Amino acid sequence: MGAFVAILRKDLRLELRGGESTITLVALSLLILVVMVFALNPAGGARDAGTAAGALWVALIFSGTLGATRVLAAESGNGCLRALLLSPADRATLYCAKMLAAFIFMAVAEVAAVVIMVLFFNLEFDARLARLAPVLALGSLGFAGLATLLAAISGRVRAGDLLLPLLAVPLFVPALIAGVKASGAALAGEPISAFAEWLKILVAFDVLFLSAGYLLFEHVIGED
Amino acid sequence: MNRNAIDSLGLVTLVLMVAALFMVFVYVPTEAVQGIVQRIFYFHVPCAWVAFAAFALVAISGIFYLWLGQQVWDDLGYAAAETGMIFCTLVLVTGSIWARPIWGAWWTWDSRLTTTLILWLLYGGYLMLRAMADDTPQIARFAAVVGIVAAADVPIIIISVRLWRTIHPAVLVTRQGSHGLEDPRMVATLLVSMAAFTALFVWLLMLRFVTLRTRTRLNFLAGELGRTRAAVGDL
Repeated sequence: MGAFVAILRKDLRLELRGGESTITLVALSLLILVVMVFALNPAGGARDAGTAAGALWVALIFSGTLGATRVLAAESGNGCLRALLLSPADRATLYCAKMLAAFIFMAVAEVAAVVIMVLFFNLEFDARLARLAPVLALGSLGFAGLATLLAAISGRVRAGDLLLPLLAVPLFVPALIAGVKASGAALAGEPISAFAEWLKILVAFDVLFLSAGYLLFEHVIGED
Repeated sequence: MNRNAIDSLGLVTLVLMVAALFMVFVYVPTEAVQGIVQRIFYFHVPCAWVAFAAFALVAISGIFYLWLGQQVWDDLGYAAAETGMIFCTLVLVTGSIWARPIWGAWWTWDSRLTTTLILWLLYGGYLMLRAMADDTPQIARFAAVVGIVAAADVPIIIISVRLWRTIHPAVLVTRQGSHGLEDPRMVATLLVSMAAFTALFVWLLMLRFVTLRTRTRLNFLAGELGRTRAAVGDL
């Protein structure tokens, strides 16, 4: 537990001093939403709840891919990863800390993305956004869990940056379907009971990929 | 792996495949509603079965590789993924050819089509990882992890996509307990096709597996040779 807190605190402190990751993620989310507005040309208002939800999830996937890459790439210089691997902390603890750091960066970017989405798609700042929160939280937790595991692989492969989305996006499809549907329902003002099925799928996805990451991370993390 | 065993399996595949072709084009009656295009079903379904079996084999070999650490499991997983990818592509292609006259569209976002497409993308990613990381020593572990995670994802993909939408005909078993194949000759043709495609799959898998085993052995020998040379040089 001590190692977990220490690694996470280090990552967060680094981010608070420099802020590179979150600023990049927020900028990327903003750009993706601008592109989506041009591409989809929404009329605005609650009618476009589904479109807005779709755009938001595209932003989530791409910023999440970047975020997970960043938290592991931060260790690549100066033998930092070797030091972490030599320390008594086990690999699963390292996974949890890195996954949570990626999740926090994604969450910050999503708060910004939601604000931008409400403005661009002409929605309202009201209780609907509160119902959107659990959907986004579950979705990004799953994506952070998945992408952190895969980033450990792609970071050690030639042209791995290109590989990460190729592996992560198809794996994320069930959570993407559930997330877009649930977010659309939430933004359209439906009660949580209306999209409870989709939330269950998101929970199942999170449980599966967090356990997979926890169990399998030791096989992929390393330094070369 | 015995060379003769593989050749005999090739011969069995040939006989079964010729029998299946005869049954599909000559023996089996034309389906009343869909007409001639329904005959592609006898290739489509066996391809789907083989593709799913291959991807299950990828995950099983991945588990055994991480557990036992023997290179043979990695070679088996790689061979299964490549062979499965061929059949998964065939499922999508034959499905499209059938869907165009029957559904009036090459592609619809039906649950089984979507699931198959996602599987195809998943294992496409797996094969790209293998191709790009061929010179990385840890590639076997990476591939094993991706293979396991992909297979573990399949149930959730199926559930979520089914909840999303479905129009695919439930050919084999419907809720009423009847299957779509009224004529016993249709059932016989499907069974022979299944056997033919299963034999074809195992044969292709074995050919690829033997090649990969040879490659592993060559790499090992090259390593030994390098070490011996270095040792002789030291003397």
